[in-house]
Amino acid sequence: MSASQRMTRAQVPMEEMILAPGSTCQGCGAAMAARLTFKVLGSNLIRHGIPCCPDQVTKHPRVGAVFEGGGASLTGTARGLKAIGREDVKAVAFFGDGGTYDIGLQGLSAAAERNENILVITKDNEAYMNTGGQRSGGTPKYAETTTNPVGPNSRGKGEPKKNIPMIFAAHYVPYIATASVAFPEDLMQKVKYAKDIIGFRLILIQAPCPVGWRFDPAKTIELARAGVQSGMWPLYEIENGTAFKLNYKPKELKPVSEYLKPQSRFRHMTETEVNEVQTNVTTNWQRLLKADEMKTVVL
Amino acid sequence: MSYEVMVGNKATAVGCKLARIKVAAVFPITPQTTITEYLSEIHASGELPGFEFINAEGELSSQVIVQAAEAVGARSFTCTSGPGLLYMHHPMQETASKRLPLVMAVVHRGVKSMQPDHSDLMSQQWQGWLHIYVENAQEILDTTVMAYKIAEDKRIRLPVAVGYDGYVLSYTAEPVEIPAQEDVDAFLPPYKPMPSILPDQVDPKTFGAGWGEGDPMKPWQMHHEAALNGETVIKEVFAEWGKKFGRTYGNGMIEPYRVEGADCVITAMGTIAGTAMAAIDRLWTDGKKVGLVKIRSFLPFPRKDFQEIAKGVGAIGVFDRSCQPGMWGPVYHQMRSTLYDEEKKTPVIGFIGGLSGKEVRVEDMMKIGEKTLKVAEGGKPEAPIQWV
Repeated sequence: MSASQRMTRAQVPMEEMILAPGSTCQGCGAAMAARLTFKVLGSNLIRHGIPCCPDQVTKHPRVGAVFEGGGASLTGTARGLKAIGREDVKAVAFFGDGGTYDIGLQGLSAAAERNENILVITKDNEAYMNTGGQRSGGTPKYAETTTNPVGPNSRGKGEPKKNIPMIFAAHYVPYIATASVAFPEDLMQKVKYAKDIIGFRLILIQAPCPVGWRFDPAKTIELARAGVQSGMWPLYEIENGTAFKLNYKPKELKPVSEYLKPQSRFRHMTETEVNEVQTNVTTNWQRLLKADEMKTVVL
Repeated sequence: MSYEVMVGNKATAVGCKLARIKVAAVFPITPQTTITEYLSEIHASGELPGFEFINAEGELSSQVIVQAAEAVGARSFTCTSGPGLLYMHHPMQETASKRLPLVMAVVHRGVKSMQPDHSDLMSQQWQGWLHIYVENAQEILDTTVMAYKIAEDKRIRLPVAVGYDGYVLSYTAEPVEIPAQEDVDAFLPPYKPMPSILPDQVDPKTFGAGWGEGDPMKPWQMHHEAALNGETVIKEVFAEWGKKFGRTYGNGMIEPYRVEGADCVITAMGTIAGTAMAAIDRLWTDGKKVGLVKIRSFLPFPRKDFQEIAKGVGAIGVFDRSCQPGMWGPVYHQMRSTLYDEEKKTPVIGFIGGLSGKEVRVEDMMKIGEKTLKVAEGGKPEAPIQWV
């Protein structure tokens, strides 16, 4: 998005769309993501939910679908609205990482390939938090989950997090962005920009989960900020599958240990393992800088 | 009104067009595939204005897409066969629980082979849909239109599956009368969602949430009662169709053939009913008074009709084109349960045949008639249930 499309603080709507008091835990990153997102989107939408944590977050009329049916459900709403002449109403998802990375990937991929006119907001808390924190395709390497306990045979999750933004970029959809609750202006600008684009849009918001990640619920924003500042959760946009823009470029990245340390899901990590993560993040960051410079996706 | 020689699958597509469907989401599977092609042609030609046609990436998604489209108020359609129906199993329950009046064609393909039997739709009995089985291309077209009227009736508000045998009917061409669009429009008013989900409506509703406060069994009870209302509504809708278009299919729930004066009756569903009619004619020629009852609605089951029929016959021979291993045929069980409390005890014997596309000949149906007649005359059946 260009500078003229940016949102100023004065333009942030006063009206809250979130349910308050909500049913979320203290310090829930996903609840913050919902609040910021739906403030910008307003009321003229049908929110889509599939099993995820938290789900009952806003006042909008909601379509619930089977876990694997998110992409199809959004498709049906968008096409149905078009067929009855009500395209002013938006089909918006508020899904989790399981419904995006894993069980819901097939339907979302098909919706992306058909370039359905839908907005997918995924709050990524990096595990199946609704069922108590089991491993998902969004879980990062070395994270301990309830199905990746650390033991003589296990160092937590053994594989890296699935690169879902690039998977969707390979569908050549109009807009993909990553966002963080620690950067609310950036997040809301992206939602505002995505709101009126016609076609498939995905905004992936990192949503720290104090219960699943095991950190002090008072530190959600600090932790999310450390994620971005260390390069663990880079903020970027991809338009039409190719045009790339890195939105946050500090002169120097903070060490990943600042992000890993406060979380008990990483407490078993050795220095060697932390260094391995650091090396991967640094390599990836160089790739992102190069992509930003060339204004095109670099895999 | 016009005539055209068309295959069963085309009759489905023409029925959809006459019903002015707004959204169809489909995924190809033999023997349903050509419906998806006919629908895509209707979309490409622009003859159905505003029609949204979606090539889904699988049956599960096609079911979810039309479910969501129905929720915003767009009359929708999907179709499948055998394994595709099994893949839809998960969201089908939701379509019914959300009380969305979707219509789906199920072009029967067995679950153990690619050939037709009723094991696909019979395996979905617990999903809360109404199930109608039809016999020929004309009946497919007419029933597709009527199914929307039944599904959208406020006493029902449930999805309806219209089942017909794959290959023998899906790919067989027959002359079909196509009613005039304005006559169908007068018969089937535009779909109005109830309640509305649109955010600018008064008190817009959510679809697919939990029940919330109160008796958690209440939605089950309401769902069950709505399905039972099918018996009344199906009869009403078919009577209205008969009056308007001059074609009747019995009372909609069942279609009796030479039942009057018969000593016993046999039952059949789908294309086997046609074979059975020929068998019945030969039996009467031989002086054997055997009637046929074609069961059109399996869900809800025509309980009242069979309780009435049982009063006048000595035995009922039930033909099942599916088998639940370890529990025999589902139609047989429904029939016995239907008649259990009747004062007059009418023997019910079961026949299982036509599984995995095994041919059922006129002679087979005659034998079933003769065996049933023997029981009606006081004989003992060789076995309560027999393989044909």
